[in-house]
Amino acid sequence: MPYKIVAMILAGGKGTRLESLTRKVAKPAVSFAAKYRIIDFPLSNCANSGINKVGVLMQYEAVALDSYVGNGEKWGLNGVHSFTATLTPRQTEDSAKWYKGTADAITQNIDFLDAQNPDYVLILSGDHIYKTLYNEMVDLHISTGADATISVIEVDPGEASRFGIMAVDKNDRIVEFQEKPKVPKSNLASMGIYVFTWKTLRSYLKEDEKSETSDHDFGKDIIPTMLGDGKKLQAYRFQGYWKDVGTLASLHQANMDIALDNRELNLFDDDDTTKIYSEDTHSVPQYVGTKGSIKRSIANQGAIILGSVDSCVISNEVIIEEGAVCTRCVIMAGARIKKGAKVHNAIVAPEAIVGENQEINLGKADVILVSGGSYK
Amino acid sequence: MKRVIGICNLHDGPDLGPLTENRPLGAVTFLGRYGLMDFALSNLSNSGIDRISVLVEKNVRAVRTHVREGQTWINNTKTGYLRLFFNEKSIGTPRFNTDISNLLTNRSYFEDETADYVLITNPFMLTSCDFRPFIDAHIASGAEASIIYKHTTKADTQYLNCGMIEVGKTGFVNKIINNSGMKKIADISLGTFVFNRDAFEKILRLSRDVSLLYGIRKMVRYCIDEKMLSLFAWEFSGFVAPILSLSDYVNQSLKLLDYSSRSQLFLDNWPVYTVTHNTPPALYGPNADVKNSFIANGCIIKGKVRNSIISRDVVIEEDTHIDNSIIFTKSVVGKGTKVNNVLADKYVRMFECHEVSGEPDCFLFIEQGAHI
Repeated sequence: MPYKIVAMILAGGKGTRLESLTRKVAKPAVSFAAKYRIIDFPLSNCANSGINKVGVLMQYEAVALDSYVGNGEKWGLNGVHSFTATLTPRQTEDSAKWYKGTADAITQNIDFLDAQNPDYVLILSGDHIYKTLYNEMVDLHISTGADATISVIEVDPGEASRFGIMAVDKNDRIVEFQEKPKVPKSNLASMGIYVFTWKTLRSYLKEDEKSETSDHDFGKDIIPTMLGDGKKLQAYRFQGYWKDVGTLASLHQANMDIALDNRELNLFDDDDTTKIYSEDTHSVPQYVGTKGSIKRSIANQGAIILGSVDSCVISNEVIIEEGAVCTRCVIMAGARIKKGAKVHNAIVAPEAIVGENQEINLGKADVILVSGGSYK
Repeated sequence: MKRVIGICNLHDGPDLGPLTENRPLGAVTFLGRYGLMDFALSNLSNSGIDRISVLVEKNVRAVRTHVREGQTWINNTKTGYLRLFFNEKSIGTPRFNTDISNLLTNRSYFEDETADYVLITNPFMLTSCDFRPFIDAHIASGAEASIIYKHTTKADTQYLNCGMIEVGKTGFVNKIINNSGMKKIADISLGTFVFNRDAFEKILRLSRDVSLLYGIRKMVRYCIDEKMLSLFAWEFSGFVAPILSLSDYVNQSLKLLDYSSRSQLFLDNWPVYTVTHNTPPALYGPNADVKNSFIANGCIIKGKVRNSIISRDVVIEEDTHIDNSIIFTKSVVGKGTKVNNVLADKYVRMFECHEVSGEPDCFLFIEQGAHI
């Protein structure tokens, strides 16, 4: 790579809308698609893009997430010029404070970035499901001479008022930013993925730090200020599958997209260039019993399927007992669905137990959460 | 603390016919996910033995690919290690390529070790065995070496040609002979030994005067016959799956589909470690119909599978029927294909509308990479 780049993954959020799934664990560490955790996606994308220096910014329930990220080995980020760094709020010579916003999280780690002295900084979110190589976006940032490049995705015009919307000119240069507008001027939504020229961003962060009215947020503060100053902000049009899994419904839907093999997000690609890496468990291969059945589903090693499974995501060490029926369920590690139980349209938390002959959410269209024991 | 070094011996193992033609037995795929040596390495690891040497007889590439840096089985990667010993010079003379000549070739590395005991085990007697009580019993016995045996009532059909031991009243081995299947009840050596360090080195030295063709097991037998070694016998009462032939391999694999067998080999708190291949979960299509089978990660299953073991990254297309078969990694069973009593090696492609069948007692073997 002819330039130096560091990726910073914002992984500090609580993820309140995931209810008890994030009671003991940060959202990026929530399980996804039977064997992954959400943060595997940005971390694997970095690895696949050749971006081997990654800071992971953590705040809420950082312990489990930190021990999962570890030295970055799971994504190959432990080589001679690679690392993952856990960046939590900490006591310094001057103060001890929490991260007040997405931009403040970076500001508090300016020393870390200065030590790396990168040309560019890639800001990512730890709770998005997508496969990409960031190189094309960085190349666009360099070739257009932008100060910041923002990844955008086309959304349904009716939905546009839920997002941060970018109005662009004919060269995709951003001319206006609207946060959740009533009357959207385009259908290009910000994905919360930014490339910044480090020197420029650094000076804006320093200014933002002084402001008492700022929320210290990229979307609300840094981007509008840069735009107001006439800085060059470029839109990068993202193609492909991308999902923010911030709610139970969207987490469930993203899981279903994979179970039902719609191949928009293909984990079964032979192409190694966008493979998603994760932790592997020491489990026996999955076993389907003489009376079991499984279709339109994905299942991880260690699962034991003795009942009936249709349109489900089955994690490791899950046991579906005889006579149990699961449809449209996301069943997380170590959960057990006992004999004769019927579960529909549910996310079953790790280690949760659905009792014998219990019936959950049958015939309902809304996704519910079956809470479990402690998250491991 | 006692210092024990572990050896996983890939020499002197049984011949599994075509499965071991191009790879050592230890690297043969098992249950769609493991290499056979994973069980021995995990026993060492779970028993707290963190310094492991693997004696590689041949095809060091296949072993290296499987164990990589060894971290899978090593607890502390600074104080522990998993390394491969290989005897380059003996490649051209396989009869002289014994475990002892391998150890002697790499003698300087071995002699550098500070260790009180040497535990040597093998990849063909599959068990989940805690070596710690075995080592304790060895030390308490005062013997120079100890051996693990299994008491069986089926020696006439199982464990053929394995060492059969005669244990004296004091618990020491008087004699080791070949199990020729004449008796039903016997005490069978599982080929796992622990030696006092000096006794082990004595055997290595002595072997040069006795026969260059002798490996460790033969030297132990010789020393017992000549009354030169005190060998304590320790009984293992747990489950053993002996993989001594190709038919053993098939039968023992399929037997583990049965929960009562599986739950004896895979114990709680005794994980069997293997390397990660970064495969996605298995995907089942709308017409997938699977019963009584193991499915490894990375598989795409769209057809009918019965009583079978499907390894990593296998694709089973629509309108297929796989029964009583073992399919190795990255093979493809194309649309409309029927597969019965088949053992398909890696990268096999079975195309549309074929029927590929063996017999229940004589599986059809399909070699690696074959297109049918």
